[in-house]
Amino acid sequence: MRDIIELASIGLVSGLVIGLAALAVTLVFGIARFANAATGDTMTLGAYAALIGTAWTGSFLAGGALGIAAGAATGLLAYHFVFKKLEQRSSVASLLASIGVGFVIRAVLGLVFGHGQQVFQLPMVRPFRIYDIRVQPNDLKIAAAAIVTLVVVFLILHATPIGRRMRAVADDPMLAKVSGIAPKRVMIALWALAGGVSAVAGVLLGMKTVVSPEMGWEMLLPAFAAAVLGGIGHPVGAVVAGILLGVAQEVVSPLVGFTYKIALTYAVLLGVLLFRPRGLFGRNEGVR
Amino acid sequence: MEAYLVAIAIVTGIYVLLALGLNLQYGLTGIINFGHVGFFCVGAYTAAILSQHGVSLFITLPASAALAALAAWPLGLVSLRLRDDYFAIVSLGFSEVVRLIVTSERWLTNGVQGIPGIPRMFADLSGMSQASAVLGLLLVLNLVAIFAMRRMVSSPFGRMIEAIRDNEEAVKALGKDPARFKLRVLMLGSALAGVGGAVYAHYIGFIAPEQFIPLITFQIWMAIIMGGVGRVSGALVGTIILMVFMEGSRFLRDVLPFISEVEMASVRIGIVGLALILFTIHRPQGLMGDYTRK
Repeated sequence: MRDIIELASIGLVSGLVIGLAALAVTLVFGIARFANAATGDTMTLGAYAALIGTAWTGSFLAGGALGIAAGAATGLLAYHFVFKKLEQRSSVASLLASIGVGFVIRAVLGLVFGHGQQVFQLPMVRPFRIYDIRVQPNDLKIAAAAIVTLVVVFLILHATPIGRRMRAVADDPMLAKVSGIAPKRVMIALWALAGGVSAVAGVLLGMKTVVSPEMGWEMLLPAFAAAVLGGIGHPVGAVVAGILLGVAQEVVSPLVGFTYKIALTYAVLLGVLLFRPRGLFGRNEGVR
Repeated sequence: MEAYLVAIAIVTGIYVLLALGLNLQYGLTGIINFGHVGFFCVGAYTAAILSQHGVSLFITLPASAALAALAAWPLGLVSLRLRDDYFAIVSLGFSEVVRLIVTSERWLTNGVQGIPGIPRMFADLSGMSQASAVLGLLLVLNLVAIFAMRRMVSSPFGRMIEAIRDNEEAVKALGKDPARFKLRVLMLGSALAGVGGAVYAHYIGFIAPEQFIPLITFQIWMAIIMGGVGRVSGALVGTIILMVFMEGSRFLRDVLPFISEVEMASVRIGIVGLALILFTIHRPQGLMGDYTRK
């Protein structure tokens, strides 16, 4: 039993990371209306930028801030040079282009940083026990950072004028337009936000494991699965589903083996699409 | 030099098979298959494993096609009723899970070490005549595929799948079930990829999971988008451009020796990415596409 709870607590942390990635996916899907396959590589970029920032300043927080800024900038650049031009076209065009954007990001990262693995120099701390359950202090920090990010994002979405406009566009783009909401500003806010959130997910993933050019791409499937499970375009759903998936992955890994952990997210994705395509929280529209 | 050209022609022939399959799926029917390499992989491993057990090459090729099509069946059944972009995600996941399986199931696939020593085709011939025979076989396979697709396009089935691509709602309103047609197209295209995989396995002689990464899928996408979606000539031209670029990047290393092999791999990924972006934005109909239509 204790093992399961320990695994679940590990899963909770990786679930928060999946949840953040899924949040970035679902925000773009809800507002720009396509599945952004460049999300994973934006995560990777954020992690590398944070590595540089940490090396420059010596401060991990400053490094993280640089990572977020780099992620937001990448989102804005991708919007300005690619997705803005495809707005009037079918979502397929944007989806295909987003694969291309991801490839370009990965190529640049591979050229600049090489293909080796790098790590964040985190202080090694002894795990301590809460009710006999082992907790890694670094995991606590990761979880805290993820939760702070989530709070900030939901504050932006629900307590600021631009957040309200973003939700209005997600709800009904035409109605938002006739109500005098400028779509372009909403899009700029969206891409900065989604890029920043991706970057945080990447930095936290890098803290948890290692930083490599492929790390974000490998998170894409879990992120999509969580976004679909949570109900596409539903931010709270994405986070909840991400946590569920993260916990499920860790808890079943003794049963199915380490390698098939990723296959589990795929099975969940298929199951959701088969039996409840609108996900846990989604509205019943446009799925079938 | 001649041997080199034949070798390139063989690889091009395999890629054209893949491109024709994807062209049938995306170009004619509008199915966004991001997992094409998965079916290629199923075909390659089917051929490799069967021939390891002494099964004749006359059987491994059709068996690879059949198994790749069979692998597509449950996938299509589950997800082709959903929105296009959901299928894209699901098929991408499919190819990753296939790779996971061939990496993990050591007893069947020898894991990451891969399967060496896969019997060659036309083994009783030697050197150039063997390679030419393989090339001839590929030519026949491609011609059969092209001929079959030509016939299909002008058949009622062809009109139906093109109608699905152009307006799925209208097809539904006419009382047809698009998912059933899409499923058949998915299986047909996957069978082509499976045959391609079998020829690849027999030709290269060694397969390992790392050869079946999603980059292959998107190289094929790059080929059909550059060439022109929905056209046989597009699949051909696009694949040839792709091969020129792949082989060219190999020569580039001779000219610019300071670029290491890993860096070259990054450059290739970057060029595939750029091509996908630029062609979807500026020339969605491809080089061979209709120039009057925007």
